[in-house]
Amino acid sequence: MILTWIYWAITAFMIILVLRSLYREKSLREQIVAAMVLVPLLLRVLMIK
Amino acid sequence: MFEKRYLASKLTGTLLVAFAIVLAAISGHSYMKMRNPDPGIDRVVPAEGFEHRLLSDWFPALKGTPGDADIYVQEGEEPGGTMLLLGGTHANEPAGFMAAVVMLETAQVKRGRLIIAPFANPMARTHTFPQDAHPQTFGFETTNGTKRTFRFGARITDPVNEWPNPDIYIHPASGQTMAGIERSNLNRAHPGRADGGPTERLAFGYMELIKQEKVDMAIDMHEAAPEYPVVDALVAHENAMELAAMVSMELEFEGVPIRLEPSPKNLRGLNHREWGDNADVLALLMETCNASHGRFRGKTDEALVLTGEDKAYEKSLGLGRLFVPLESYDKRIDERVARHVITAKVLADNLEYVRDGKGITIEGLPSYQDLSEQGLGAFLSE
Repeated sequence: MILTWIYWAITAFMIILVLRSLYREKSLREQIVAAMVLVPLLLRVLMIK
Repeated sequence: MFEKRYLASKLTGTLLVAFAIVLAAISGHSYMKMRNPDPGIDRVVPAEGFEHRLLSDWFPALKGTPGDADIYVQEGEEPGGTMLLLGGTHANEPAGFMAAVVMLETAQVKRGRLIIAPFANPMARTHTFPQDAHPQTFGFETTNGTKRTFRFGARITDPVNEWPNPDIYIHPASGQTMAGIERSNLNRAHPGRADGGPTERLAFGYMELIKQEKVDMAIDMHEAAPEYPVVDALVAHENAMELAAMVSMELEFEGVPIRLEPSPKNLRGLNHREWGDNADVLALLMETCNASHGRFRGKTDEALVLTGEDKAYEKSLGLGRLFVPLESYDKRIDERVARHVITAKVLADNLEYVRDGKGITIEGLPSYQDLSEQGLGAFLSE
């Protein structure tokens, strides 16, 4: 259970970092890549998949 | 053109985040459908005489957990032996659990006792395996036109229930090492551990059931890829080999040839090994041939699950690369289920010859020909 919460915290932290990169990014292509990375992270932070 | 810096802005960022949220919502909804299926999906209608119980009745630690499997028990008027029948140990092997469902909905036990676990690992039914592109459900039309729909799950317990798996799984009872993912595979977890992971606890529950109910014969119904050598096969622990040999001969006479395989002594964690080693039970496992399970397959959809028709497998068969005889290559789910049902029936019929006074008589089951020709829908309740 502790491991699950550590995993959740890492995932949430990753989402924050990806969002930060996405908004700071100057290239649209890199923004699209960041958005694609967000999808599985969102599913994981919500404990869906 | 995407490299042009002016294209990226806070607005495009916000739009893309919104798009990612929408995608996550759509796929999340799809995943959750497997965990919380619509009413009617996986519905079973037990034949008269079955009593519904839960595996926690034999191993109370499972109570209230996702691994607390449904168990159905029917006792005949005459005393006799006890037969345990498992389907859905691997939830991506549909003929295994559909055979259990057909038997649950049609069996009338006259002598002895029949215990059925149609969905032996409920935790494997809530997801499909990543990158396998399996359909989430498949269905059959009954004689009055209603549709019976069942989930197509995965080989292993849902990571939501059991996570993370180690790099290497050490089978607790033997010390044998396996790939880490096998920790979540019910048919590598036997005889299980009372204080192990969810799949090991589930395996322990079945072991307790076998011991407490003094089960005489335990059968697990599986499917395997057509390129796998153990298809259309009956795998038997050495204590069940005499019975299995009799049954394979009888099936040959019935026109249902079946390969007879000994349970390897050095391959641990499988039920046909561990049940037989740890209890006074004749342990057997059956395999049919499932193209939707194989690695050569092309388009993977409901039709493939139901018909087994795949051009890569047709070609492999023509080249003699499969372990199924060309003349008996009929891999519709109706035939695969019929094969399981007739094998279970013949095993029950012959049990008395190896266990005096422990005969089991089951009536009402559809014959191999009827099931194969009329299809499953004709024998499922409405």
